[in-house]
Amino acid sequence: MKKMIALMLVAMLVGIFGCTKEPQQPAGTETKPTGTEPAAKTSWMIGMSQCNLGEPWRVQMNADVKAAAEKQPELTVLFKDAQNDSLKQVSQMEEYITQGVDLIIISPKEAAPLTTVVAQAVEKGIPVIVLDRRVVGDEYTCFIGADNKKIGKAAGEWIVKKLGGKGNVVELKGLMTSTPGQDRHTGFREGIKGSDIKIIFEADMKWLEPEARKEMESALARYDNIDLVYAHNDPGAHGAYLAAQAAGREKDILFVGIDGLAHEGQMYVKEGILAASFEYPTGGKEAVETALKILHGEDVPKEITLDSTVYTADSFK
Amino acid sequence: MTEPKHQDTTNNSLVKFLSSPIARALFALILVIIIGLIRNADGSFFKFETHRDMLRHISRYGILACGMTIVIITAGIDLSVGSLLGITAVIFSLTTLHLGWGAFLAIPLTLLAGVGCGLMSGTLIGKFKLQPFIATLAMMVFARGVAKYITGGEKITRAIQKGNEFVYVDLPGIFAFLNSRVLNDSVAVVTIIFLICLLISWLLLDKLRWGRYLYAIGGNEEAARLSGVPVRAMKLLAYGISGFFCAVAGMCQAASEQQGDPEAGQTYELTAIAIVVIGGTNLMGGRGSIWLTLIGALTIGYLEKILSINAVSEAGRLMLTGAIIVGAVLFQGTKKR
Repeated sequence: MKKMIALMLVAMLVGIFGCTKEPQQPAGTETKPTGTEPAAKTSWMIGMSQCNLGEPWRVQMNADVKAAAEKQPELTVLFKDAQNDSLKQVSQMEEYITQGVDLIIISPKEAAPLTTVVAQAVEKGIPVIVLDRRVVGDEYTCFIGADNKKIGKAAGEWIVKKLGGKGNVVELKGLMTSTPGQDRHTGFREGIKGSDIKIIFEADMKWLEPEARKEMESALARYDNIDLVYAHNDPGAHGAYLAAQAAGREKDILFVGIDGLAHEGQMYVKEGILAASFEYPTGGKEAVETALKILHGEDVPKEITLDSTVYTADSFK
Repeated sequence: MTEPKHQDTTNNSLVKFLSSPIARALFALILVIIIGLIRNADGSFFKFETHRDMLRHISRYGILACGMTIVIITAGIDLSVGSLLGITAVIFSLTTLHLGWGAFLAIPLTLLAGVGCGLMSGTLIGKFKLQPFIATLAMMVFARGVAKYITGGEKITRAIQKGNEFVYVDLPGIFAFLNSRVLNDSVAVVTIIFLICLLISWLLLDKLRWGRYLYAIGGNEEAARLSGVPVRAMKLLAYGISGFFCAVAGMCQAASEQQGDPEAGQTYELTAIAIVVIGGTNLMGGRGSIWLTLIGALTIGYLEKILSINAVSEAGRLMLTGAIIVGAVLFQGTKKR
């Protein structure tokens, strides 16, 4: 019996590794011969280090990088997922350095633990593009990211305009111990400053839809007059909508979210569930474009701030 | 060893009731409700909707806690319930939303998936003698992996990608039904489902011979085996039922989120265990009841609701929840040994 289990385990392991290696192997074999002749370089290998593929938004980021890279036949991209573990990400970065990839795109989990390894790569002559989250200091080639504070502010200003300067607003916050949550909060408060908008209820829904729904139910029970719900992400806004719908009040309330993913926020806006969704761009496409420039020896700015698009019903006409 | 004082006065039936596990569990619940009466958030606590919505929210956890109660009575633990909820929510969404299956096909398949995962844990525990903690921990990680694998890490929503375009499918009737309310809008369908799960658990634990077997295994596994209890089969039953309830909760989760999120259900196992424990079912096995779990679910549900309507900050909520769990369990613990 034990042998059978062992066999099953081995079969499973082989199966799993078989799956994960598949997409990488052609990349490795294609680029190796060209990697040794630096003179007429026509193909490059990029290492992409993603901190956590557990988040749909980061899955989208990888998909954007992949889609953009597929349009450039001279680029091949390797993907590694650190599964939300800083130290795992450090060792994956070290693997890229040892392997001698031509450029690294990293979306770091945390600043401090990954600063050194990013600097090491730069020292070894490998350009590093830091995506979305920062590292400490300036030992990197280029930082690309969106500004949550700016997006929160834009949302606040949009809401002021939409409500005509006054109204009762519920704020459903993302995890307030995370920087995006804090920035989307402070930016929003800056955006509504000076208006007669009142935040009558605020709660931490931890980015989770069921939590948002629960909090919204409480807000609905407590206040008869709610004009708008501002949620720090689209699932939160959708959860609030479902709560309002269950109470038969969804027609009286506007819902605004952030992220604007195609299958989430954009869909909700298209269907009239959300009044607006503010895109939080992944920067995947821009990272590949910037990478190409760097590899061609062109100058790139040290810092690129991505613009956010706002999706409203008008965007889909 | 302190003298168990209440033993001396058991001739008084009121005192007897007051020292029963049910009364002790009720005490915690009443305490929480009193907090709600005092901190009623401008009268929100007195509104009917508050209670109806609390019941809707706690029902998914309660359904998981039903399976957890049965498993804990056998002196086991099932850490995989959150992951199984996630994987079944994904399977249910995938089949109904993306493949367009009818509910009559999707529901049995989802239930089968849940039961299958539960039976796998049960086999590891009953047949291969793995500790329940380890076997279900492995299942928790494994099932989460499968959920992520079959979805590619994306949520399964009504938006389906065809090339670069997204097409939207209508919300299937079963989603709308599971997310609706019945009886003149007074009770959520998920709450009714929770009640049915409670009844199933009660029938199993209190009315069938199997129930006594489950308690016997939790009390003393070796003694139960020697007296002819089919231990392996009963463990399969316990974890299989737990998997079944996970699938039920998973479908409710998918319906209330209108999507299948591969990340859904994270840390739900802890809430389910908290519900069982706060009700007073003993983690050592052999003791407890499904009605204690109902009281536990109400206690946790009201606690969360009261913190929520008062818009208490996250930090405050966590501290209060921790403190109240300890308080309730300490109070109940005084009766044993």
